[in-house]
Amino acid sequence: MDVGSDADADAADADAGSDDELLVIRCQLGEREAFTELVELWHGPLWRYLRGMVESAGAADDLAQETWVGVLRGLPRLRRPERFVPWLFTIGRRTVMNHLRQTYSAREVAAEEAGERADDEGFPDGVLDRMAIRGGLDKLPPKEREVLILFHLEDLPLATCAAVLDVPAGTVKSRLSRARGMLREILIERGEHP
Amino acid sequence: MNRDGHTGHDDREPVPLPPGLRRTIARETSLRSRLRDLAVGLAGGCGAAFIALLWATEPDAPPTRTRIAFAALIVVGLAWAAFGTWALTTRRPLYGHDRVVGGWIALAATTTTTVGGAALAAARGGPGAALATGLAGTALIASAAGLLYRARAHRRALLRRRHELREKTG
Repeated sequence: MDVGSDADADAADADAGSDDELLVIRCQLGEREAFTELVELWHGPLWRYLRGMVESAGAADDLAQETWVGVLRGLPRLRRPERFVPWLFTIGRRTVMNHLRQTYSAREVAAEEAGERADDEGFPDGVLDRMAIRGGLDKLPPKEREVLILFHLEDLPLATCAAVLDVPAGTVKSRLSRARGMLREILIERGEHP
Repeated sequence: MNRDGHTGHDDREPVPLPPGLRRTIARETSLRSRLRDLAVGLAGGCGAAFIALLWATEPDAPPTRTRIAFAALIVVGLAWAAFGTWALTTRRPLYGHDRVVGGWIALAATTTTTVGGAALAAARGGPGAALATGLAGTALIASAAGLLYRARAHRRALLRRRHELREKTG
């Protein structure tokens, strides 16, 4: 392990944290141009997290917009600007969970209705097709999927993941371990894992 | 921290902001909308106070229809005040600079209402009514001044922190 490069990476992280805090402070002051800068900076990571959790890019766009509205309305009350990132992902997570709850309840109703006509129509909601098209991540349950997205795809530190998910760091570790195991099985099943 | 332009994930394409999101940002952070909500709330509250003063300083008991009209106008004014308060606390909260501007506007509005109200009360109800109106108005002015004081302190703290961070990041 190269100690020098680790120190450089830590310094770069600290600088990025200060830049984030400065941008959030400027937003809290009401500097209008800072809002667009903040959204441009964090829209990508937020959108990728949401995209990993929902079925389409359009749904991710809608949820990102809803999340940003919540963020812009909540910013004046954010007491610790240095904690902006976990706060942002917490709002995103709440938004996506509300969406999933509505989607799943709608699918359950649709599945019950479809079950009555299943002999004639096979899989009318097309869920299996969508699941087959998307990668192994899509086969994971939401809790395991989101911890993999936050930790591995968005590179958020363990402590930030724990803050976003509102669970202890130990629980994040155990979810990560379970999620990796499940993902491995899915990929082996598909013949995509060596 | 992972992010476009920072460490890691250079292979990822940045996600462009959809035009709809840009419009949403502009709408959600609009200063004009905030000042409009503030003006509506203050106009409603001060208007309701003025109507109540007119009613209270009527020389003779007004007829029923007039009393209903007074009451209706007061309710409408209070409803606008409640709407303004709701909008500024949930839909379009004031940011640091906005709170100071809003504080000054509130102070001006309450002072004008108090001076006007006291003059009206003196002309219609005598010194006792003027004194009561002045005292009630002073309480409103003190509230507005308190909000302005807190807004300025909050903005000062944010400006200090911004300065520290700018020094730190160069």
